Amino acid sequence: MTDAPITDAWIRRLNLLQLVVAGIIVLTPTLWMVLSSLKPSFEVTAYPPTLIFAPTLENYAQLTKTTPFLSYAINSLIVTIGSTALGLLFGIPAAFAVSWTRISWPAILTLAARMAPGTLFLLPWYVMFRQVGMIGSYTALILSHAVITLPIVIWVLLPSFDGIPRSVFEAAQVDGCSVTRILWRIALPLVASGVAVASILAFVFSWNYFLFALVLSNGDSKTLIAAAFNFIGEGSTQWGALMAAATLIALPPLILAALVQRWLVSGLTLGAVKG
Amino acid sequence: MASISIRNIVKRYGSFTVIPDLNLEIADHEFVVFVGPSGCGKSTLLRIIAGLEPISSGELYIGDNRVNGVPAAQRDIAMVFQDYALYPHMRVYENMSFALELRGTPKAEIDARVKRAAALLHIEPYLDRKPKELSGGQRQRVAMGRAIVRNPKAFLFDEPLSNLDAKLRGQVRAEIKALSQQLKTTMVFVTHDQIEAMTMADRIVVMQSGTVQQYDTPEAVYERPSNQFVAGFIGSPAMNFFPVELRGEQIVFSQDGTDVPLDAKSRDLLRKAGHGVFGIRPEHFSVTADAAGAVAVTVRLVEPLGSDTLIHFDLAGASAIARVDPSLRPKVGDRLNLRPQPGRAHLFDGSNGQVLR
Repeated sequence: MTDAPITDAWIRRLNLLQLVVAGIIVLTPTLWMVLSSLKPSFEVTAYPPTLIFAPTLENYAQLTKTTPFLSYAINSLIVTIGSTALGLLFGIPAAFAVSWTRISWPAILTLAARMAPGTLFLLPWYVMFRQVGMIGSYTALILSHAVITLPIVIWVLLPSFDGIPRSVFEAAQVDGCSVTRILWRIALPLVASGVAVASILAFVFSWNYFLFALVLSNGDSKTLIAAAFNFIGEGSTQWGALMAAATLIALPPLILAALVQRWLVSGLTLGAVKG
Repeated sequence: MASISIRNIVKRYGSFTVIPDLNLEIADHEFVVFVGPSGCGKSTLLRIIAGLEPISSGELYIGDNRVNGVPAAQRDIAMVFQDYALYPHMRVYENMSFALELRGTPKAEIDARVKRAAALLHIEPYLDRKPKELSGGQRQRVAMGRAIVRNPKAFLFDEPLSNLDAKLRGQVRAEIKALSQQLKTTMVFVTHDQIEAMTMADRIVVMQSGTVQQYDTPEAVYERPSNQFVAGFIGSPAMNFFPVELRGEQIVFSQDGTDVPLDAKSRDLLRKAGHGVFGIRPEHFSVTADAAGAVAVTVRLVEPLGSDTLIHFDLAGASAIARVDPSLRPKVGDRLNLRPQPGRAHLFDGSNGQVLR
């Protein structure tokens, strides 16, 4: 009996320690990036690093002046929104079909595709898209990014669909619904939070994906993340501008995650619908 | 409104046969209850009628239409599920109007039908609520309302009362019975509760291992069970059973060789069967001062129920129960003479459990 409070106190301390360590790992590079983006360029790589400095927006100004940053951002948005929409368009019916039929191998196949290294797809795609003259097109980028978004949509929505009591679908069948109608009228409204979570995760993963855009885009369709890579030059890397670009690139996913934080947690952990 | 005809229906899941070969005729307007222990195939049979389970072989007719392979959506039947299966994102009104809307029923008619059903089930105040805002009993009524508005060929109920508390169950049971008399539609009701079966059904289908053990009126199933399984399943407390045999011209309990107070007809029946099982319901014992034609027992346990009293005793190696008048006030250890009421005893074939008649 007397041991219990001591144990609880230790558990609390260990929890705190875990949080601090996780916080340091996650936040240190992020803070470094944000602070560096606000430093004058000569201070970005100074050693020892300066913690007190006069903040400036010169890196951001340089970024917009020297690069078509807005165009890259629009490219990123087109590719990300397009691939997320494509992922949802096929992922929602696919997840529902897997849940409905209880045949899981198609879902496992998409997961395997997601886990495979991107280079596995890159080479065949490059050859195929080049042969049909699609290198540098939005279509090529959107299609390739669907490999990222589709498995996410399927695997986030699968437990949500599974969580709906089977009898609700059967009641709809008896009421006169076709399977397609059950999906749109019954199942989809019940997994709305799951769809939101899947959309955001798909958006974030597609937005952050670097490899396909690096190879399959051209000057006109380059996405932000691929463009940022160009700041790492031969011998003269523009660290300040790079940090400013990285900060701006990280903003949309962070804002989205913050906006739907509650849904994100419940959608990922529960995945179920309470009747 | 329609009859339901089940002809040589077989249902298999892989190599496992749930229903080996089942035939059943349910008449138009009839209220039929499928009853049996868990896993006897009663819910599977109901789901086959609903179109939610495919048939392995055999034929199913609803009215004059052969419905093998016809999707549930096109069978024009309504079903009330055990967990109610209401649409959580829709209000009660939408839950009830959904099927009509799918069929393209005009809005004014939908409104009239929903309101009529809501009035019938006393759920008008809840039409704007979501299912999660309702109690179990209210949800149950909404599920029934959803079925009623459709005016279907048949209603199917899959253990709809099992999630309700005892008091509410009795109330809703009576309401469903009244509703069936009002609507005059074919109803098929699945339950494992034999009291529900007895109180509601025009006819009861007693099932075991995917086969129909008896299909008859509640009175007939209770009074004239066709076999030992039905006799033991219907009635609460269950019928008492004692293995018996013929020794010379006297029927005796197999376990201890003491006399069984049975008549000459029983003796003839047992002579043909060789050995048998004597069955008698707890309520069919009479307590008598005269030991002739009775068995003497020692009271082991007394359960006063108010309206009557159950006494537990051991007889011929078996544990048994008798239902007696509470005014007797028996006590543990008392000796009682119990006489089977004339014509109330049952004799079953010892080898196959079939009733000996």
